[in-house]
Amino acid sequence: MAETLLDIAMMHSDTLISRARQGDQNAQGKLVQLWYKRIYNFSYKFFLDHDLAMEVAQKSFISMCKNVGSLQDTARFKSWLYKIAVNYCREEARKRKGNRSLSFDVVWNREAEESPRWESSSQRYDNPERQYHHGEVSDILQEALMQLNPEQREVVIMKEFEGLKFREIAEVLNISENTVKSRMYYGLDGLKKILESKNITKDTLGYEL
Amino acid sequence: MNYKPDKQELMAYLYDELEGAEKERVEQYLVEHPEELKELQQLRGVSSMLRSVKDKEVIAPPIFIPDANERRFWDAPYFKTVTSIAASLLIVLLVGKLMGTRVTVSESEFRISFGDQPVERGESPAVASLTERAVQEMINQSLQANNSQLTANWEESQKQLQQSINGSLVINSDKMDQLIKQASGASREQVSEFVATMQAENMKMVKDYFALTSNEQKQYIEGLLVDFAKYLQQQRKDDMQLVEMRINNIERNTNIFQQETEQILTSIISNVGPPQTMETKY
Repeated sequence: MAETLLDIAMMHSDTLISRARQGDQNAQGKLVQLWYKRIYNFSYKFFLDHDLAMEVAQKSFISMCKNVGSLQDTARFKSWLYKIAVNYCREEARKRKGNRSLSFDVVWNREAEESPRWESSSQRYDNPERQYHHGEVSDILQEALMQLNPEQREVVIMKEFEGLKFREIAEVLNISENTVKSRMYYGLDGLKKILESKNITKDTLGYEL
Repeated sequence: MNYKPDKQELMAYLYDELEGAEKERVEQYLVEHPEELKELQQLRGVSSMLRSVKDKEVIAPPIFIPDANERRFWDAPYFKTVTSIAASLLIVLLVGKLMGTRVTVSESEFRISFGDQPVERGESPAVASLTERAVQEMINQSLQANNSQLTANWEESQKQLQQSINGSLVINSDKMDQLIKQASGASREQVSEFVATMQAENMKMVKDYFALTSNEQKQYIEGLLVDFAKYLQQQRKDDMQLVEMRINNIERNTNIFQQETEQILTSIISNVGPPQTMETKY
């Protein structure tokens, strides 16, 4: 996924990381700038909620700056950072489970969801800016992603969007590589079924891709 | 060849994380099993659809981290606790000093007192020298003064009471006299007049009453007489009818009787001849 300058900078930030480890606040700040977008997007896809994603990203980076000194191996910085983010995501998800209040805007209605107008009727994208940034397709895909269980969702996001290797994901989640692969398989399979149930295949979306 | 790649291998192949022989083996298998290949391609399609989701642009907010290494020993929790205890003790001592707190423990008393300790003064013996007699005298004096004042008050109020009673008595008797005079002024004439009018009224009333009643009685008796006469007449009429009916009955009976006798007679008469024939038979 090393496509942009930012990505290239992320790939080659070993010196930055080692300086940050020695307590260089400047280097830490740069690391935050480099990785903020990735961590934010990871948690955004996990929750599909801007505020929660911001919160998780900020907490993750505060924790990163505090603990980067104890990081043993600079090569493992990426998986280490994702590990922090995953833990905060899980924590937030747990909190949210405990407090089951729904805003009046987000009362889900099966019928409305099935109807062709479901994307526009969803209150989640009432912000025109967001509506501009998200095409229909990515909305549908992200909604489908939200229907996976969190374990599969984590793996799919890290693999598809964050471009981590299976080995790295296994390291982040502290599970075996085979488990990661099978979660990935079931995640993709689940997504396929969800999208099929909505009558969406690559062909129907072809003109938009 | 019974080789069949498991899900993990397929995933690794899909994301190009297989190398060398393993990769070739999976490729070979997929060529031989087009249905598996189709399934894998569907998954690849999902994967490529997912990649069409763009990242959201976001600006990293500034994150300020206080330098954790700069912690001085006075930030340590135990130091803070000890310091705070010492500070509060100091405050207590200071306040105690300012308020002149004194704590004394003697044989059987524990005393906490604030401010200066009261100094025993020389006046107290003088107070003690006030003897019983003097007290008695003072009491007596005040009693006497009280008594005299009370009696004076009492006498004065008595006097005032007497005065007001007298005054009211005079006023009342005057009023009574006047009333009595007025009453006697209403003379006998008035009384007799009143009685006369009463009598006249009474007489008139009685007269009227008698007239009215006698009239009514007369009417009633007349009515009674007429009714009685009517009744008698009716009775007579009824009796007459009865008698008439009886007489008619008797008349009819006698007629019948006459007819019967006539018949009998005729029969007897007509039967006079035949007995001769009969006799001849004998």
